[in-house]
Amino acid sequence: MKISEIEKLQPESPDVLPSQERRTLLKIGLAVTGVYLGGKVLSLTSATNAFASGVVPRLGEYPYSPHYSMVIREHLCIDCELCMEACVETNDVPEYGYRTKILERRRDIIGGDQETIFMPVLCNHCNRPPCVRVCPTTATWKDKATGIVVMKNSRCIGCKTCMAACPYNARYFHEERRAVDKCNFCWDTRLSKGDTNTACAEACPADVRVFGDLSDPNSRVFSLLHTPETIVWVLRPESGALPNIYYINK
Amino acid sequence: MKKLLLLLVCAGAFMFGGHVVLNASDSAQEEEEYYDEDEFGPEALIIWESPVRGVVFSHKTHTYEMGLSCEDCHDEIFEMEAGYAETEDDFNMEAMYEGKYCGACHDGDMAFAANTRCTTCHIGVRGVARLTGESEESSHH
Repeated sequence: MKISEIEKLQPESPDVLPSQERRTLLKIGLAVTGVYLGGKVLSLTSATNAFASGVVPRLGEYPYSPHYSMVIREHLCIDCELCMEACVETNDVPEYGYRTKILERRRDIIGGDQETIFMPVLCNHCNRPPCVRVCPTTATWKDKATGIVVMKNSRCIGCKTCMAACPYNARYFHEERRAVDKCNFCWDTRLSKGDTNTACAEACPADVRVFGDLSDPNSRVFSLLHTPETIVWVLRPESGALPNIYYINK
Repeated sequence: MKKLLLLLVCAGAFMFGGHVVLNASDSAQEEEEYYDEDEFGPEALIIWESPVRGVVFSHKTHTYEMGLSCEDCHDEIFEMEAGYAETEDDFNMEAMYEGKYCGACHDGDMAFAANTRCTTCHIGVRGVARLTGESEESSHH
């Protein structure tokens, strides 16, 4: 068909389409859905064989070794920000950037008072990282051994798509390096040099941040997450990213 | 020209109205909450920066609202001299769990225990920034 002919055609947007036409289409749609999904959509009985396994991987199902993760004992955080300071110093984070932050929320409590809850946030080193998926130049990836989401600055073209994709807002653009920067659990500055702890966890005076290998049953992160009666949650579970930063209230 | 006149009249009415409301709320507050600093201690909040940043203490909450007297804490638990506790080596949570400083009352019996409800006193860097009127943006960029 020629362009000149197309130009003469009536548009098919909803405002010009006759409603009869729309109804017919809707009916076809419903018929097709009905045929293919049969009783599944309409059956409202509960699935009796379903069970909730929660946000923590089941025993023995840790994809990495060591499977680095961090447990945040949220109620103990007092926003002294020594973790942020230690991170900036260790990882050469510029003034406008951040690798970790403390968020704050407040809620009403009995007696007409308000309670403040501080929430440390950092890269969640997701098992299905949306940032890695969207990077057009493979400048960021999940390390095969440790599961750390790492960056290769020389490959980064600064398109910032990863920043937009991250459900945790854990990335920023480092102007001087002309590359996106993010938390890498102090891999280049500490872990690869034999240190076993991140700078932020080491600096915390309230024992909020606990870093370690989740695949090691003797590690503290393991025991914190698998202690009876502990409630474990992650941020934005609906993203499906399977984060590795866990929050507990004990 | 007419429009300009109308605008001026409106602005005048607004300013005048605002002024009256402001004055009314001022005097109401004065009547309701007269706070005698000689009796209840300084009204200004104390903010400790050491050993960790962003810890707050309010004389008003403890005396005016809770009914404690100066002698309940001074000079046995806390020196009267402002900022003295901060200079002591054992001004930390461990000492409080042993019943020193705030821990003298904050033992879970008289008042909430010192190892619970951390953020009530530890308002953090953000909390202090809010108190001192510093915008969050400027302290976090």
